[in-house]
Amino acid sequence: MKSRYEAAKNVFVDSIDIDDYIELSSSVTAYKQLEHSMEKPLKMILLFGRPGTGKSILLNRLQEKLKHQKEIHYFDTPATNEKEFFHKLFKVLTKQDLPHNTEVNFSALVNFCKNLRGKREILILLDEAQMYGTEMMEKIRLISDSRAVKFVVSLHKTDDEDLIAKEHFQSRIWEVIELKNATQSDQTAYIHKKLLKKNLFEIANSIKEKDMKLIHTFTKGNFRECNKLIFTIFEICEYYDKNEPSKINYEHIPKRIIEMAALKLGYIHV
Amino acid sequence: MYDIKPLEETWKQYHKNKRKPYFLGALGLSILFIVGGVFFNAKNVSLPQLSMNSTGKFIKTTQMNESNVLLDGALSQIQLRKIDKIEQIKPVVKMHIDTNIEETMPTLPLVNDIPILDKEPIKKKQIHTKAKMKIISEKPRKKMHLNIIESSSVSAYKDVERRFIESHDTDDSLFLAKSYYRKGNYKKSEFWSLQTNKVNSHIEESWMIFAQSKIKLGHINEAIQVLKSYVKHSNSQKAKELLYRLRKN
Repeated sequence: MKSRYEAAKNVFVDSIDIDDYIELSSSVTAYKQLEHSMEKPLKMILLFGRPGTGKSILLNRLQEKLKHQKEIHYFDTPATNEKEFFHKLFKVLTKQDLPHNTEVNFSALVNFCKNLRGKREILILLDEAQMYGTEMMEKIRLISDSRAVKFVVSLHKTDDEDLIAKEHFQSRIWEVIELKNATQSDQTAYIHKKLLKKNLFEIANSIKEKDMKLIHTFTKGNFRECNKLIFTIFEICEYYDKNEPSKINYEHIPKRIIEMAALKLGYIHV
Repeated sequence: MYDIKPLEETWKQYHKNKRKPYFLGALGLSILFIVGGVFFNAKNVSLPQLSMNSTGKFIKTTQMNESNVLLDGALSQIQLRKIDKIEQIKPVVKMHIDTNIEETMPTLPLVNDIPILDKEPIKKKQIHTKAKMKIISEKPRKKMHLNIIESSSVSAYKDVERRFIESHDTDDSLFLAKSYYRKGNYKKSEFWSLQTNKVNSHIEESWMIFAQSKIKLGHINEAIQVLKSYVKHSNSQKAKELLYRLRKN
């Protein structure tokens, strides 16, 4: 027999599927801010935040929403080398594949972009930009100087990357949008909305306010951590539901199970 | 699905550890309360013990020939006889104190002679009617003599009365009878000596104060009846003497 928790568990499988996007007050603010920044004649916009704060899904949503209005391209996976990146860029700009056994001439690419000014406005969303080296970022800046190509650069916020952001982008970036971890109310809304989207009302109601507080304490409002924790909670619930139903309360998820999940994920230790 | 049993065990351990500080805190508080309670009780109990101990150290020996004085006083009141000399009240409380203290403190201020703080029996009595209440120290001996006549504290008398009601200790009632007699409150001295007699009818001193209080109050016939009755079953020499004097005058 299929457990009621199986479906709930799968809701929290971590993905950047646009269908999983949950509109929260904080994400709506960030989205509007980003949309507004893109309207400005800016060359580079930095989207900044710790891993799991929703940068990727925000870029994804932006592309999904604006793809019919603007020439927008989402580079989700960072190119492993410069050659690969310029191949991708060439394809975006020229709408053609690079001929076999040829390489992109960077100066020619910049000139090409300069010629596009006033004719086209291309928006490139660069996810995981911390993977690009300083030299590469410098070339991206030079392309953006053409004013025909605009970049939204998404960066993880770690101590090292903070340094990159400060040193490299400070003089080049025109707008910085920082995504922060969710507040408890935002995270509660996120969990509830995710479950309700899949019609899991009873399970959504079984997570009470104090449980939400505990979950927020463990995950510190990080969406990725939250997904992981809730997934594990429902996985444990699923086990009990199938094997030891006496140990589970369908009205209220026991604190014990939340703590067990936190122990398993290493948020707390014995 | 991973094995849930080891996770359950880990959680049990975690839960146990999590509750440990609360247990320790509760235990600490309990110990604190117990120690506090014991200390508080010990403090309450130790007060009388201490006073007894202190009286053990401060051995109190009062030399009084009170009955004679009381007798004389009573007789003089009704002017049956003229007394040449009224003896000084010399109630002496001998207290064994460190010799050094004695030397540095030859006289002490008035101290309340209240049996609340003194469970030692009064051994010797000596009364001298010098109205001024002061402490007389006997010089060469390694003892300090305190002349304690009466309490300056009304509440102290109340305390003794309250205690007598609870304990029916004749030491207390006799103390009150004597004190009130000395103070000239014969109504009260009659009452307290009667209370003493009710509890113990063999205390000569109490009977004498009872009779003398009656004399002071002008109830001579009653005093004679009381003395006759007491002489009959006790053959008290003092009672006989007083009775003889009363009849003679």
